[in-house]
Amino acid sequence: MGQERFADVVERFTSGYASAAASAAEAPPETVRQWREELERNLGRLRNLHALLTSPEPRTGQTPREEIYRKNKSRLYRYASARTHRTPLLFVPNLGISRPYIFDLLPNGSFIEYMTRQGFDFYLLDWGVFGPEDNDLTVEHCVTRILPRVAREVLRSSGAPELSVLGYCMGAPVSASFVASHPEVPVRNFIDMAGPIDFTKVGLFGLWLAKDHFNVDRFVDTLGAIPADLVRAGFKLIKPTMDLSAGLGLWWNSWNDKYVEGFQALSKWANEYVAFPGEFFRQWVRDFYQENKLYRGELVMGGRRVDLQRITCPVFVVGAREDYIAPPECVRALVDAVGSRDREYVELPGGHISLIAGRGAAVHCWPKVSGWLASRS
Amino acid sequence: MADPAASQQLFDLWKRQLEEGAQAWTRLLGQQAPQAPPLDPAAFWRPVLNEGLETWARLFAQTPASPELLSQWKQFLDQWIEAWSRALGQAMGTEQFAKLINQQLDAMLAAQAPVRKAMDQQIEQALQTFNLPSRAQLTAVARQIVELEDRLERLEDTLGAVLRRLDARERG
Repeated sequence: MGQERFADVVERFTSGYASAAASAAEAPPETVRQWREELERNLGRLRNLHALLTSPEPRTGQTPREEIYRKNKSRLYRYASARTHRTPLLFVPNLGISRPYIFDLLPNGSFIEYMTRQGFDFYLLDWGVFGPEDNDLTVEHCVTRILPRVAREVLRSSGAPELSVLGYCMGAPVSASFVASHPEVPVRNFIDMAGPIDFTKVGLFGLWLAKDHFNVDRFVDTLGAIPADLVRAGFKLIKPTMDLSAGLGLWWNSWNDKYVEGFQALSKWANEYVAFPGEFFRQWVRDFYQENKLYRGELVMGGRRVDLQRITCPVFVVGAREDYIAPPECVRALVDAVGSRDREYVELPGGHISLIAGRGAAVHCWPKVSGWLASRS
Repeated sequence: MADPAASQQLFDLWKRQLEEGAQAWTRLLGQQAPQAPPLDPAAFWRPVLNEGLETWARLFAQTPASPELLSQWKQFLDQWIEAWSRALGQAMGTEQFAKLINQQLDAMLAAQAPVRKAMDQQIEQALQTFNLPSRAQLTAVARQIVELEDRLERLEDTLGAVLRRLDARERG
């Protein structure tokens, strides 16, 4: 049947539309149905592409929330939930690179919305967008000054005696450093999602930022901060064909209203890069990427040694199979590095972002995280 | 009048010192490790280009032809992107690429640093002429506010700790 359709197309090109119309009248009903379907898809494509060009940006981050604490550019938000679990959950995303609304992108497609519906008292730390006045901010400052205060605010606001901490991407090693060096903070559970721990296995960024090639001091001393455009260039370089395949995917699926809506929201997020404060970048690259101090137990913050063995609460580590920013092997390292008896590692399908955002995440990841946490909260 | 013999002696001493100094510098420079020749981007990218085309040709040959024109076209583009993704992924995971990209970055920084400095100076001068605050001045004020906020917070922490201790003592 497929051969017949191809022949019909050739016929239309060679003998004109009259002949094609005649052959359409004679075509089997299944072929006519497929033609109609294809025509409708093309009309849908045109309609959605026009809407994509003319409609306003989609509204992201719609789960109701209130700001409960602010420190300089950073904000701590508490999301509305039908709280059924006593222990609140503090979500610590990456600092710089991108904005955290990816975790609450669209209604019915949001990690935060899902977790609040599961009854978690959910708190998000939005590090904010830093300016040149913040260039002295370091990883150490975040670990020893911001996170302890944020944890205290979570406990105060929720009225709970303990909290769970979930670190995503760079937020995972940063919050792991905090949990390991602040045993006085009552952390009940710790979750690492796609957060690199052993930086010898961190893939392309590890190779490009190696001490032999990359002079971080010269970089920071010249630029002051790491501008958003340079962050964008770094991330585009790691997967140079990403934009092409995204464009092709859009063209192919543009008849689908849901796909276009998701694409529009995701595209808005994916093109909003955030600069790194200079000193933060210097310490992040030197201590983590180049010297792997966290995994080797050589990191000292606020006069305290950061020893991952001192994390003794239940630990859940989630790696993404196709993650090229934090490959699963460098994430998995946390399971063997902590001192907890209750520890688990799962490797789920998806990449660095699709692990936590998108349709696949809703099926594979969110229920896993929620299920593990619910029984321990 | 100056003694000509003494002058000649002084001149000879200076000349010898200059010659010895020049020889020492030559030796020192000669001992330095020979500079690595800059990587040739064309030599690096040519095999990547060939690899990309070969991968695409392999993928294309493996896929059966479909009579659906649109699907066939989509498949063709998917394979093209996949082939380049693989070839570029392999190339970018090499030490040579890391060196190449950091050389480019270094060159960019070397070019940018003096331009930035000159531009900052000029802008600052212009702003001063119009009696306007410069970016550096505004940044300094913002930094002071950040520091003030930090200090206030530490004071709050200390005060909170003292109050908690007093509270505990009263109860105890």
